[in-house]
Amino acid sequence: MEFSITTTPSTRRWPTKVAPLIAALLLSLLAAADAGARDYLQLFVVQPYLELHTGPGRGYPVTQVVARGESVDVLMRRTEWFKVRTEHGIEGWAYERDLLRTTLADGSPFTINLGDRAGFATHRWESGAFGGAYAGATLISAYEALSLTDNLKIELSASQFLGNLSNGYLLDIGFSHVFMPNWRFSPFVTLGGGYERVEPKATLAEPLSSSNQTAYVGVGARYYLGRRLFLRGELREHEVFTNQNSNEVKNEWKLGFAFFY
Amino acid sequence: METRICILLLSFVALSCSGCAIFHRNAQQDTATPPPSQSQSPSPSPSPSPDSDANSPPPSVIEPEVERRTVKVPTIHPSNVEIGAYYGEISIQDFGAQPVAGLRLDYHISEDFFGEVTYGRAKGGETSFETLSNIQLLSDAERRFTYYNLSLGYNLLPGEVFVGRNLAMTSAFYMIGGIGSVKFAGDQDFTVNFGAGFRVLPTDWLALHIDVQDLVFRSDVTGVEELKNNLQATIGATVFF
Repeated sequence: MEFSITTTPSTRRWPTKVAPLIAALLLSLLAAADAGARDYLQLFVVQPYLELHTGPGRGYPVTQVVARGESVDVLMRRTEWFKVRTEHGIEGWAYERDLLRTTLADGSPFTINLGDRAGFATHRWESGAFGGAYAGATLISAYEALSLTDNLKIELSASQFLGNLSNGYLLDIGFSHVFMPNWRFSPFVTLGGGYERVEPKATLAEPLSSSNQTAYVGVGARYYLGRRLFLRGELREHEVFTNQNSNEVKNEWKLGFAFFY
Repeated sequence: METRICILLLSFVALSCSGCAIFHRNAQQDTATPPPSQSQSPSPSPSPSPDSDANSPPPSVIEPEVERRTVKVPTIHPSNVEIGAYYGEISIQDFGAQPVAGLRLDYHISEDFFGEVTYGRAKGGETSFETLSNIQLLSDAERRFTYYNLSLGYNLLPGEVFVGRNLAMTSAFYMIGGIGSVKFAGDQDFTVNFGAGFRVLPTDWLALHIDVQDLVFRSDVTGVEELKNNLQATIGATVFF
């Protein structure tokens, strides 16, 4: 007995405008699926065992261990914790210091950038936020720095100041030189220039906004707190190049938290 | 007598063995300066002599033609950044409780600490004076309440949330505080914010938040300069990158 399958053409057809959209959607889904099928770093356990926690934190219980000689795939990293998958398909979170005792496939030790004192001295990026004062006005500031060397950094900072008579913004770029980057308390000097915008508050007189170029010189210090976090304080003297006969000198101080990565 | 003959024969055999390594060097010297009688010979012998073999480079045993494979170590995907939005209610002092919506960007510095940038918007209502007297203190644009905050958070109570028997989600109760500014009533003021929140992660890349914060700033919008407390409660969702 033979079964025959007959098909009847559907009377409903996709509108021609929808078809490219569906194709694009499918392509994007395929691209997403392809991105999901990425290669993972494989690490081999050489210590007696590797503990896997249920979550990315020291308090989460250890429910699995990976035996010596077995391998894990590193799926992702969150702070000091790495999500790994064992050869048996079990997933868990391994602590960074435990993973430092594993090896790569060629037997070489696995190394990572730890958030510790060594990282405080040598890192690529740092970022932070401050509170302070600029020419008597309250200052809110954030900065981003790129390390050219352990000592020399290029910094970009954006600030807003809020005073009784005027508000405004500062945008500065400059260099800073850290004298002893490996010290817990490390001083630095900084030099740069930027742009200042002052917006006077509404008073009896006609308020006029002004924008001026500035140059600054400053000193500061950083103090390592722990992990990737440090305190940073700074004093700057800004020379504001105004349209008037003489330039203005404005002082700035700020203190806040920063972190490196 | 026999011993001497044996030594003589063995010496002859050894000398005639041109492939021997001991005599290889001499053979090369011989070919480098061939005697004139050999160079003037009209036709070389068709069969290659042992001296011509010595002229060619010594054959290597293994030809290292296999290219070394460069192993590219896959990078580890860092997932420390949270981006998302929130929605809730803010009680703007003197101007009533109003809906608030905002965006948030978090960076997890360590297991314990995270930095957060938020930007929120709301719209102040009417004061009781305005409602009773029908006099408007602020224009519509001045009622717009926008703020940003730069905060540092601390995961005070990390833990897990259990839903039923089979689902466990990581979570954290955190404290947060920071500084920023608020734009309201035609003025912009320095703000201090502090509060607490609860974060639960249904998956590794999605987080749900419940937050309660107080935004404090000094203002004279109602005639007397005083600290204004603006409590806000929000729910939100973020995606880890």
